[in-house]
Amino acid sequence: MMIDYAWLIPVFPIIGFLIISLVPKKWLIWEGGAPYIIGMSTASFVLSILVIIDVLNGHTLTGPDSPRMTWLSAGSFELTFGIWIDQLTAVMLLVVSLVGTLVVIYSVGYMHGEGETKRRYYAEIALFIGVMFGLVLADNFVEMFIFWELVGLCSYLLIGFWKHKPSAASAAKRAFIVTRVGDIMLLSGLIILLRYVGTLDFSELFAEGSLEGSGMSSGMATLSMILLFGGAIGKSAQFPLHEWLPDAMEGPTTVSALIHAATMVKAGVYLVARSYPMLVQTPDALAFIAIIGGITALIAATNALVAVDIKRVLAYSTISQLGYMMLALGAGGLIITGLMHDGGHDGLGAGYSSGIFHMMNHAFFKALLFLAAGSVIHAVGTNDMLKMGGLGKTMKITSITMLIGSLSIAGIPPFSGFWSKDEVLASTFHAFEDAGSYSTVFLILWIMGVATAFMTAFYMFRMWFMTFTGKQRSDAHAHESPVSMTVPLMILASLAAVSGFAFFIGRGFFSFMSDSISSTIGSSVAVEAIHPLESLGEIFTSPLTYASLIVSAVGLFTAYSIYYKGAFSVSRLASGVTGKLQKLLAERYYISWFYDAFAYNIIYGISLVADIFDRYVIDGAINGMAWLSSKSGAFIRRSQTGQVQNYVAAIVIGGCLLLLFLIVFEWGEW
Amino acid sequence: MIPMIDWLIFSSLLMAVGAYGVLTARNGILVLMSIEVMLNAANVSLVTFSAYSTELHGYPDAMGQIFALASMTVAAAEVAIGLAIFLVLYKRHDSIDVTKINILRW
Repeated sequence: MMIDYAWLIPVFPIIGFLIISLVPKKWLIWEGGAPYIIGMSTASFVLSILVIIDVLNGHTLTGPDSPRMTWLSAGSFELTFGIWIDQLTAVMLLVVSLVGTLVVIYSVGYMHGEGETKRRYYAEIALFIGVMFGLVLADNFVEMFIFWELVGLCSYLLIGFWKHKPSAASAAKRAFIVTRVGDIMLLSGLIILLRYVGTLDFSELFAEGSLEGSGMSSGMATLSMILLFGGAIGKSAQFPLHEWLPDAMEGPTTVSALIHAATMVKAGVYLVARSYPMLVQTPDALAFIAIIGGITALIAATNALVAVDIKRVLAYSTISQLGYMMLALGAGGLIITGLMHDGGHDGLGAGYSSGIFHMMNHAFFKALLFLAAGSVIHAVGTNDMLKMGGLGKTMKITSITMLIGSLSIAGIPPFSGFWSKDEVLASTFHAFEDAGSYSTVFLILWIMGVATAFMTAFYMFRMWFMTFTGKQRSDAHAHESPVSMTVPLMILASLAAVSGFAFFIGRGFFSFMSDSISSTIGSSVAVEAIHPLESLGEIFTSPLTYASLIVSAVGLFTAYSIYYKGAFSVSRLASGVTGKLQKLLAERYYISWFYDAFAYNIIYGISLVADIFDRYVIDGAINGMAWLSSKSGAFIRRSQTGQVQNYVAAIVIGGCLLLLFLIVFEWGEW
Repeated sequence: MIPMIDWLIFSSLLMAVGAYGVLTARNGILVLMSIEVMLNAANVSLVTFSAYSTELHGYPDAMGQIFALASMTVAAAEVAIGLAIFLVLYKRHDSIDVTKINILRW
């Protein structure tokens, strides 16, 4: 059983990291040691595929009998390192290993001109992939948190890869600090869980009724789950902590592809999906997740409308799609909680599965879009879409693969994004029908989701038309990228085109995913298997599908008529109310500005006060003590005269005083 | 028989005389001699308690006398060392005036 060797998956890339970091320079063979990393990540990929085949055959490693080793034990608390493999892990393994490997191969071409620093790049990429594997394989929250922080560290290192650029250095710091806000929330949530439940092992936390059974009040349980989601807000760039992700575009495009598609931001979605058995016990936290997801999807999509940096458009679209995933997970969880009381229902795991499905599809098309954008940037030498245009003629492979990615994210059938996005919106709508007290909220969220679908189609094709059609606006001699870059593009393009078919191949993706929660949520909520062909029919008979399809098509057509036909000049919008709106969007709703102002004025002010306090009160007290000791010492040492007779006098006087004391107090007579 | 308290008063006076000598003498040899006086004051006390042991607690006890002998031995050794120290001091400083020797101060 290959699943027993799953622990090797994270080990391979970490070995690669150690090799590249430690061996002498002449052993690096070629391109800064890239062959080692390609080999190691391919090994992980092959092993992941073998493990996934085991999972498809129904073998999982969950529960208390999963392999583990004790790392440290303190009293009744034991910290273990273990492996937890279920259907969710399998999807994550596929995404991380496949996208990771392709990104590393692509890097050979993209990072070719980087010289000596390539070695550092490949070492950090390998570590990044390795710790992400560790994160998805962890079987308790402590282990997961350790890898979670390592993922944050690697993203910091890679975003700031071009450390000589001040903007890259500050973007890296920003990513690290903003996600750290989320990490603190996650840690607080875990501490609450540890305090009440007494363990952070998945097998015990995911038991049915684990939160209420531990004597937690429902308010405390909701708080702990919202704090847990706080970690995902930071990591997955959800509103209001989403501003670090567009800035993270300062790193190499390959790093952006990895962060957006496979490693960093998917960790937050994974956390929410992984915590599902606990989340379904707290409906309010699920509603919170869905609301945050919906707001994020809408806000980021509006920001993407006006961005002119090709990578920023993609960054905002990632935030927006992550919002979709959170929306689906929250909505699906609420449906489950509602039905846990009312009995069975068709497609109970639909929201959950559609969130994961969208995450998988997003991984493929977003990696594709980023790598294609990287190919364009590699050719033109700028990120600015206003300086691109007309590249479709010279860069055929890039333009076609990027078109596939754009069609996919815009939700045009039969490309992958259509299937999952449609299911995300469908589960939101079902939540509106089923969620009881939250139903109005979910109607609004559904409308927001549909509006986001329109904007997604619009901004993606705005980007595509601006980049590849029309007149060439720069004098750079664009050329197609080398093979090591185009081959990963083609692989990812075919995946982005067909990965949606997982929806109805075999048992269908949804019943596969539903297994992972039905085994942990408990027998009383048997998540019913959905027959793939039946749900296929449901999709094409439901008016909801056509609603989302029509808005996507309208968005696409609007972009076509404005940016290809030139039927309407955008510059006419630059003044008046629309101009103000444009400015508001370009300034990202002043959220970033607000954070800066907050940091500069409030936090810096607090820091100044703390600094003064530290300098004058704390240091003052310590220096004062030292001063007092030295001065009193200088005074008291005068008593050591060196005159023998002074000492003798002291002894005699002391003896006499002792005697006197004894006479007066002890013997009580004179 | 002479009462025990008389011996003890004598011992105390001897101790006081010795202490006065140690505190006031400038000559090192005189200091040593005064220390000897103080030691012997202690010996007198010890022997007194030994001699009056039968009256004090009902049986004869030679412990005090043994202590006195031991302390005399110690005193002899101490004087030898003390004189040796003063000999060295005299070689180095041409003086054994204890008020002038303060090399062990701060």
